[in-house]
Amino acid sequence: MSMRELVTGGAACAVPGSSSSSSNPLGALANALIGSSSKTQERLREIPNAAAPTSDTQFYSQVDDSVAALPGSELDRPFLHSNAQGSDFIRGLRSFDDNGLADAWEEIQRQPHLDHLYDPAAAPIQPTLDGPPQRVLSSFLHSFVDSSRSGIPLHPTPLPLLGLSQGDKQCIRDRSSIMARHFFADKSEDFINAQVNALLSSLEIENDVRARGPVPGRFRELEDYWNESQGILKPGARSADGWVTEFSQYTAQHGDTNAWVRSFEQQHGASSWASEFEQEQAQLTSIDHLNGGDVANLAAIEQTRMLAHTLSQNDDPKFQVKPASGSWATEYQQQYNGGGTWADEFVHNEVFRGPDQWVNEFATERERHEQADDQWVNEFSKLHVDDWVEEFGHQVGEGILGDTSSDNWANAYDEFLNEQVAAKQRSDASSGVYVFSDMNPYVGHPNPLKEGQELFRKGLLSEAVLALEAEVMKNPENAEGWRLLGITHAENDDDQQAIAAMMRAQEADPTNLEVLLALGVSHTNELEQAAALKYLYGWLQHHPKYGTLAPPELGDSLYYADVARLFNEAAQMSPEDADVHIVLGVLYNLSREYDKAIASFKTALKLKPNDYSLWNKLGATQANSVQSADAILAYQQALDLKPNYVRAWANMGISYANQGLYEQSIRYYVRALAMNPKADNAWQYLRISLSCASRNDMLEPCDSRNLELLQKEFPL
Amino acid sequence: MPVFKTPFNGYSVRFSPFYESRLAVATAQNFGILGNGRVHVIDLSPTSPTINELIAYDTADGVYDVAWSESHDSVLVAAIADGSVKVYDTALPPQSNPLRSFKEHAREVHGLDYNPTRRDSFLSASWDDSVKLWTLDRPASLRTFREHAYCVYSVAWNPKHADIFASASGDCTVRIWDVREPGSTMIIPGHEHEILSCDWNKYDDCLIASASVDKSIRIWDVRNYRVPLSVLNGHGYAIRKIKFSPHKRNLIVSCSYDMTVCLWDFMVEDALVGRHDHHTEFVVGVDLSVLVDGLMASTGWDELVYVWQQGMDPRAV
Repeated sequence: MSMRELVTGGAACAVPGSSSSSSNPLGALANALIGSSSKTQERLREIPNAAAPTSDTQFYSQVDDSVAALPGSELDRPFLHSNAQGSDFIRGLRSFDDNGLADAWEEIQRQPHLDHLYDPAAAPIQPTLDGPPQRVLSSFLHSFVDSSRSGIPLHPTPLPLLGLSQGDKQCIRDRSSIMARHFFADKSEDFINAQVNALLSSLEIENDVRARGPVPGRFRELEDYWNESQGILKPGARSADGWVTEFSQYTAQHGDTNAWVRSFEQQHGASSWASEFEQEQAQLTSIDHLNGGDVANLAAIEQTRMLAHTLSQNDDPKFQVKPASGSWATEYQQQYNGGGTWADEFVHNEVFRGPDQWVNEFATERERHEQADDQWVNEFSKLHVDDWVEEFGHQVGEGILGDTSSDNWANAYDEFLNEQVAAKQRSDASSGVYVFSDMNPYVGHPNPLKEGQELFRKGLLSEAVLALEAEVMKNPENAEGWRLLGITHAENDDDQQAIAAMMRAQEADPTNLEVLLALGVSHTNELEQAAALKYLYGWLQHHPKYGTLAPPELGDSLYYADVARLFNEAAQMSPEDADVHIVLGVLYNLSREYDKAIASFKTALKLKPNDYSLWNKLGATQANSVQSADAILAYQQALDLKPNYVRAWANMGISYANQGLYEQSIRYYVRALAMNPKADNAWQYLRISLSCASRNDMLEPCDSRNLELLQKEFPL
Repeated sequence: MPVFKTPFNGYSVRFSPFYESRLAVATAQNFGILGNGRVHVIDLSPTSPTINELIAYDTADGVYDVAWSESHDSVLVAAIADGSVKVYDTALPPQSNPLRSFKEHAREVHGLDYNPTRRDSFLSASWDDSVKLWTLDRPASLRTFREHAYCVYSVAWNPKHADIFASASGDCTVRIWDVREPGSTMIIPGHEHEILSCDWNKYDDCLIASASVDKSIRIWDVRNYRVPLSVLNGHGYAIRKIKFSPHKRNLIVSCSYDMTVCLWDFMVEDALVGRHDHHTEFVVGVDLSVLVDGLMASTGWDELVYVWQQGMDPRAV
């Protein structure tokens, strides 16, 4: 399911309770997005018909005169003085053949002269995104922009889900790759690509072929040579303009030059080898995104893809590497069977066979430059062509094609890709499986459950996890052991393991109310509305007091409104039951009614003022409704009650970061990490805050996870 | 000197050709990479060093540039990142704006220039590699100029010849066009990196300046464009925008990703005559007042608009 569906499906939610920091921001974004739909319609209605009479009269009183004087009306009447002057101006610069004037203005003459045909500006304003996700995005884009000055490579950072639409992603992809070439002008193409890729992969945007590639002018050496040789061939005024430049344009004004490109393609067959390669690479890139492939690899692939893309896109014949079709596949097959030096041979023989031919042909046509082909080949080899061929060969060598001996390598490759996707899906499906730690010192402990409870009480969460794992390994049916393990993970900021443990607890005891509530909260955090409703409804069903409220037939098709209604009934039944108010608070988070959620949690806190996790829920909800200052007070309450509450420390940091207080947020992240260095989310947030606070000097200690240094630098 | 804070990142600032105290500012959220945009029309207070906002228009995508109409004192056009060009009239009530929305460009519109001599038409430069010619009274563009092989970042009308304009592109060329000719009439392969801005000298109609990602400004004489007349080095990063002074023949103002605004005299050896580092982020918009000699304005990604008199410190209050 795509993020978009999650958001628009209304499943997006906030993060009370075990509040994974990573899903915190999405609630607010979803709120903004969904809240916007009605605004959008209102806006649409507000947009005036642009042909409103008031505006027209102001402009159109003079329209007819001014239009008559426009260029294009010249075919009807004599040239105006100013136009003639302009014409002289250009003629004075260089003698230009004027034959195309009539054609040029035909376009204008064909324009219907219709004043009132405007389509009114109908684009509605997007909601102004200023909730936490906007700040995360903004901060991250800032660090991207900032990295141009520091020269420090941007690392891909798993960000919280931001709910970006496809259109948003395309904007980010296209614009950042164009702008990056302005900011990072000093850097190599590889560096630029790596930066853009780090940005895009962090935002989970595939860098597909629609993105604007590098500037055509980057093959300078070749361009220069080309210009030079052509300069000799084409004496006269136009040579100064460089026909190569014109030739490489996408206009259809090439004349005979175009013709010979076409004839070349006919002779050699448009095997579109480059574009095929590029497609495969694009797919490969996306697969790597899925698998979280490392940057270096991505950058290399990207480089390859860009080159292939350039080769296939550029109309300039010098980039059209098109070896005779068929021979490539044969060659490839042979080399594949034989292994070894396929790439080398391909580089030295096959790639240049085609170009040799066409260069010869070209030379013959021009009756000049017999030696050009050699030089051309030399120039071309300098363009790091080896890099990508090696890369491709390398991947082939690594057995990307598996054992298949199919003649059609493309089919085999597709199969491989499908397998990869299937494998990825399998691994997703199994994500609910609890993963035990290696080397657990508590295995063999006489009473690991008691030990685990004790450690949990002391706040030694990572140790408690080990003890409790020992317990559930010993007694896999112990629901309490699993439940406590789940809660420990949740407080230690590890939602995946928390859910896995809670599922085991529920298997062992399907009616345990605490387990059902915890699962409801966790699924709310994970934005799974249906699952969250199922568990919350289960809580009601199995509650001794409220069980009668829940008609069993409802369990088959749960709707948010029904569940919320039942819990409101329960709250009326016993207004003194804090748990009901807690569940209501969670439910309101699901529906993004943060004010109601905050009220519910506050009611519950009056009944249970010492429940630190409840204070954390309140804080997270306030953070979601963009009340970061209030959230900090709530987190502080939670921390006063439980100083080792890692999640609250991390959440505190997020709230400070959301207010732009990056320095302060760093201190809280560092404190959270000192307590649980395995909290990966917090490391990522720390990194963003460091770069937003312009503390690039501390990025290295952050990357090497040097907590000692970080704690010294950022004491709390 | 007055400062104005914009909620989004500044992209462009332009003095009104009719009122010496009025400016328009184009802004975009998230550095123009994603989000909304806003056009601000602001007035310098005559009595105190402050800036008041006259009106602001919200857009559903970033605004990359604005240009004032040369014929109607209240009309301005805005270049929107969604590919549209929108026309606003500050004399009309807010609900009547935008007056027009021209949606033809397939990609971001990055530059605009209103014809200062004919005063009835304007140009838009887009990342779809084309330039389009428009008038306010026609529903569609008059012409599309397609020759550039990469994004076109800026366009500038020749100040003397109503039909001549120049375009600067990421394909490393400046092209000179006569709107009565079918194709470009001159191609200047000006730099080895992308060219982000160009402008004509206001006193010598044969001089054109180009500014590039290669950190240099080059001055060209279109009668002999093999070699630049002058190369101005001094910026530390890509140069985003350049303007010739409307009052002093040899003065050029430029702004850059090195976060500075520089003043140049291209006819003297030490061409760099002034540098202002008042912005704390990339400076992407700069303009010189036609009505007040030496009055200049800049905006940047630090969300600030500065207006100051040449020779003063923009930050001085």
